[in-house]
Amino acid sequence: MAALTSKERVIKFFKKEPIDTMPVFSGMGTVVIQAVKEMGVKFAQVHTTAELLAGSALKSSEMCGLDAVVVPYDMATVAQAVGCGLTLYENSEDILYPTVPNKWETLEEVNIPADFMKRARMPIVDDAFRILVKDGRFAVGAWQLGPFTLAGQIIELGLLLKGAKKNKEAVEAFLTKMTDIVIESIKHYESLGVDYLNIREMGSGTDLLSPKMWNSLIQPHLTRIFSALKTPAVLHICGGTDMIVPLMNQCGADALSFDQKNTLAKTREVVGNDVIVLGNFDPYGTLVQMENPEDVKTVVKKCIDDGVDAVWPGCDLWPDVKMDNVKAWVNTTREYGKKRSPVIGRI
Amino acid sequence: MSKSKEELLKALAEAVVEYDEDACKELSQEVLDNPNTMTPMEAVMNGLAAGMEEVGRLYDTHEYFVPEVLMCADALYAGLGILRPHIPKAEAGVNAQVVIGSIQGDVHDIGKNLVKMMFDVAGWGVHDLGRDVPLEQFVEKQLDTNSEVVAMSAMMTTTMLGMKKVIAMIKEKNPECLIMLGGAPVTKDVANLFGADGYADSAGNAVSEGIKMIGRLREFQASKK
Repeated sequence: MAALTSKERVIKFFKKEPIDTMPVFSGMGTVVIQAVKEMGVKFAQVHTTAELLAGSALKSSEMCGLDAVVVPYDMATVAQAVGCGLTLYENSEDILYPTVPNKWETLEEVNIPADFMKRARMPIVDDAFRILVKDGRFAVGAWQLGPFTLAGQIIELGLLLKGAKKNKEAVEAFLTKMTDIVIESIKHYESLGVDYLNIREMGSGTDLLSPKMWNSLIQPHLTRIFSALKTPAVLHICGGTDMIVPLMNQCGADALSFDQKNTLAKTREVVGNDVIVLGNFDPYGTLVQMENPEDVKTVVKKCIDDGVDAVWPGCDLWPDVKMDNVKAWVNTTREYGKKRSPVIGRI
Repeated sequence: MSKSKEELLKALAEAVVEYDEDACKELSQEVLDNPNTMTPMEAVMNGLAAGMEEVGRLYDTHEYFVPEVLMCADALYAGLGILRPHIPKAEAGVNAQVVIGSIQGDVHDIGKNLVKMMFDVAGWGVHDLGRDVPLEQFVEKQLDTNSEVVAMSAMMTTTMLGMKKVIAMIKEKNPECLIMLGGAPVTKDVANLFGADGYADSAGNAVSEGIKMIGRLREFQASKK
């Protein structure tokens, strides 16, 4: 039987159909500096045109041997489109991700333009997706920040956090607006033909919010988002998540993704063997810092033994990876992941 | 009937723990109105700061989360605003300066602001550069103020790497300046790897870590004499 293509492998994965081996991919950025350098550009430039965004994603996945491509890389696209500006660090030789320089200082003054999807770099991201979908070799992943994390990009985070206690109704109403934005943008990416989606609500982990607050303030909005989507959709939260795994599992996502702070073996026990679980290695500690690729293999095998269905990094890859470590991630997953995972069988 | 010293200190601490800004202000004013009960400095350290220590414990045991901690910090600052102007300079605490900021590329500053608050409470001279601070600004400010400590924070793995460069730049110009790192992705190992002198795994630890670092520096300086 012919091996599955990368795209087929990921699509079948999310349908819970048997596959040849564990796919190697992520729902977060996987651009690597080696690809950017080969393109002859600075890191700051890759966020600025569809060709560079898509090109760097394709080249990175080719070089690394991944099964998917994911764009964009930075978290500032929507905030920029609604008027918060952008700091691109174009003069920096270092790897600096674009950030949002101007946040609103009160909830009342926030004004979201109805045509935000057509503003700033949103059309660039759209065109990048068109290039990636047309290329066809890799599964294409789109992502959006969850409503609370997106809110934190647009207004001062301290205001949001204190408001969650002091001014709950106003924060609730604001998060409803944010949820509308998330749904509009992610459904738009669905219409462009992407293969999977990732909702990244990393500002809501228990490093910041109590489980009680997560239940009342975060979960209802996430549930509304996932009920609006047809394409397989992941819920990713990095940071403290052990206390909110059951709540995350009630949001209606097709898969849950965690970072290295999650006690994954315990999470697998809690959710059972019918829920796709993704994670959970430290991308910087593993792919950048480790000196010996054998140590990377150990990390990857542990993720698989703990019960993931695919070995995802806990966050965006830090682009300055050691390629030997990336190869160790990919090859170990392909080999050790030949056995079935808790949810997905093998051909 | 006016409160005893113990009652007043307890009330101050509780007002912080219960994030009651009005109570913190009223009680702080009561301290000033009853100068025989205690000094403003005692009220800050053994009342407000003691309350914040309890808040730290409640955070560590997952009873309080960041929203509560921020509100407690607001309450503390409300009281500090009333008491601080009445603390004589000589009594104001450790005679040290700290330059603090979130590293370039990082627009998160909640943790940094909590650490800044702890240095404030302890009477340090605090020079807050804000967030997304270009690397060279840490160096320039340190040279400008001759601060004993530079404290940098990063919330994201993607931004903490700039810290290594800042440390090298500062050490080249001023080897005696002490560098403290903190923030979610920063571990003691990373801090050591980057050449930092201290590492704070929480706002509560930042000041004691800062004082330890200065203690080590003073020992080193004394041994050179």
